[in-house]
Amino acid sequence: MGVDMSSQRITLGGGFYVPAVLAVITVIYLISALQLGPPMKGGNMTAAFFPIMTSIMMLIALACAMGQAVKQAQQQRAAASLETDRSAPDCSATKRLGGDDKRPSYLGISLGALGVVVLTAGYLIAFDRLGYLVATLGYVLLLIVLFSGGIKHNLVMKLVATVVITGAGYLLFEIVFQVRLPTLWSL
Amino acid sequence: MDAMNGILGGFAALANPETLLYMIAGFLIGMLFGAVPGLTSVLAIALLLPLTYSLDVSTALVACASIFMAGMCSGSITATTINIPGAPSSMMTAIEGYPMQQRGEGAKALGHAALGSMIGGTIGALLLMVVSPLAADVALLIRTPGKFSLIAFALIVIIISQRGSITKGMIATLLGVMIASVGIDVVQPIARFTFGTSALVQGIEMMPLIIGTFAISELLVQADSRSLLTVDPGKIKSTLIRRRDFIPPWSEVREIGLLRYLKSAIIGYAVGILPGAGGSMAAFVSYAESMRSSKHPERYGKGSPEGIAAAECANNSMCGGAFVPMLTFGIPGDPTTAIVLGVLVINGLQPGPQFMSQQLDLVAPMFASLFVSALVLVPLSIYLLGPYFLKLVSIRRDVLYSSIAVVALVGSYVATYSTFQMALALVFGVLAYYLRKQQYPTVCMLLGFVLGPSLEEYCRRSLSISDGNPMVFFTSPDSVFFVVLTAIFFYFMVMRKPKERSLNQS
Repeated sequence: MGVDMSSQRITLGGGFYVPAVLAVITVIYLISALQLGPPMKGGNMTAAFFPIMTSIMMLIALACAMGQAVKQAQQQRAAASLETDRSAPDCSATKRLGGDDKRPSYLGISLGALGVVVLTAGYLIAFDRLGYLVATLGYVLLLIVLFSGGIKHNLVMKLVATVVITGAGYLLFEIVFQVRLPTLWSL
Repeated sequence: MDAMNGILGGFAALANPETLLYMIAGFLIGMLFGAVPGLTSVLAIALLLPLTYSLDVSTALVACASIFMAGMCSGSITATTINIPGAPSSMMTAIEGYPMQQRGEGAKALGHAALGSMIGGTIGALLLMVVSPLAADVALLIRTPGKFSLIAFALIVIIISQRGSITKGMIATLLGVMIASVGIDVVQPIARFTFGTSALVQGIEMMPLIIGTFAISELLVQADSRSLLTVDPGKIKSTLIRRRDFIPPWSEVREIGLLRYLKSAIIGYAVGILPGAGGSMAAFVSYAESMRSSKHPERYGKGSPEGIAAAECANNSMCGGAFVPMLTFGIPGDPTTAIVLGVLVINGLQPGPQFMSQQLDLVAPMFASLFVSALVLVPLSIYLLGPYFLKLVSIRRDVLYSSIAVVALVGSYVATYSTFQMALALVFGVLAYYLRKQQYPTVCMLLGFVLGPSLEEYCRRSLSISDGNPMVFFTSPDSVFFVVLTAIFFYFMVMRKPKERSLNQS
């Protein structure tokens, strides 16, 4: 991902794309605020006034953040060109431009974190449909596998930990704090 | 006299076995979370928040106060022994403690850190008991335009205290204000930004935001790491801590001097009152002042007990100061007090000028908890558990974070018995993850969320009183006071600071 600027390709990282996504959200928010009606009515502020002001200030701040990210990328590009001119050509400079995180990632989120997001989303669905015990047993086991980097090593310990964590959660919420958790038989 | 009786009643409430149990349990949890790198006492309090639905509000506040105090002091052990500050507030302790550890004086460093924490925490709690009723009387004088200017002052100081990333601080704060505006308008019965979703009409609750920002995002950040344990076992094996190590030599305590302890505690307390400052700022300011006024400034950075005492004394004293604006004005200045505000709001209580006089019986046990935690639990727990601390903080990450995930997500479910809150927590967790990766201060987002609705309400009410004339903010004396205060802070923190830095560099 990148933009062409004066015949040099500048790679923009999360420093640019995070405020850019926030800018899109803010524009949607601003449009929604404008649809609420005029910001002032009879000398009084309406429900639209504050959100309009907030989103305008937000867009200005986001534009500054994006501008800073582009400037930073240009400076990095210039520093990298200088370095490649000085030393024998290698791929290190190009690597540095690729972004701050070298771990495999998708849409700026590392594979490990993406795994946690997918597992958690699945857990929310399972929690509703299968109840606390079944959903939590599966979720905890998969999280333990994800955090420890595999299932084969120390499998018995992982299974024991899964049962203990699920049981401790049940005890804490259902017994100590008297919260009615959904169960398979109550659904 | 009534206030004094109320506060004494708070101490009596701690005699209740259930309350005492929550205070001790909270303290131990806070110590663990404060010491384990990657975990913070804020996360511990965030995880406690859903449980407050089933707890008596006073007991929940007692537990929050003891977690807060414990989290501030426990980071010093890992900071000194293995040079990994368990909490950001222990950064200055690591600078002085680790060189002492390397030259075989780690024992002394730990002793000074424990003593500093005890003295600072106790003074901070005492000042809180004395100052908060007076601050509540002052708060009664502030009218609507002044309230707007005060909240604006708090938000601006929170933003400009983000050194080097003011733009990011502003974006995060405004994002919090935007999230808070979802739902019914604060003045008129109009639903805003619901996008046709009935679940959003009631607005977004504080709990999924807190759980998402502090617990879920931490899970995502930690999923990037490949290590199996929270602390490298190699470092732990080479470090032996004995119980007697925690008693600092009297000669060195005398050399540090009572005045330095007192000054550090007052600095920490004052920094705590400021919005957005927190424990690390308190420790830094006190450390810098201690170095400036020291007879041996050359020893700083090479292992100075004075530096450790100043930093630890201030960051624990900060705990007391941080509660003053939250309780008297309803303005939390840091994430911990923002979550404590959440505990009060969940229970239908709104802090403000009248709160201290009307609900003193509810908050007095929290004051007592801060005091007892600092004076008794800090030295006692460090003395008893200190030798085992490094083993305790080396936890299997897979087990630790799976447990945190279950408590965080099921805790979100508790609020409304619907998975919608859990889904919101996940959404805010992913948002906070991206913000954290780009060094956006997520604390600003939380404080923007908490203060945004009041800012809007007081702004609209003020303009309504003055027929839409914005000059009301510059003619009302209480408002002018905060406008001038904002200008002073802006001058010293934004305009003058870079000049000083460039002068130093030249």
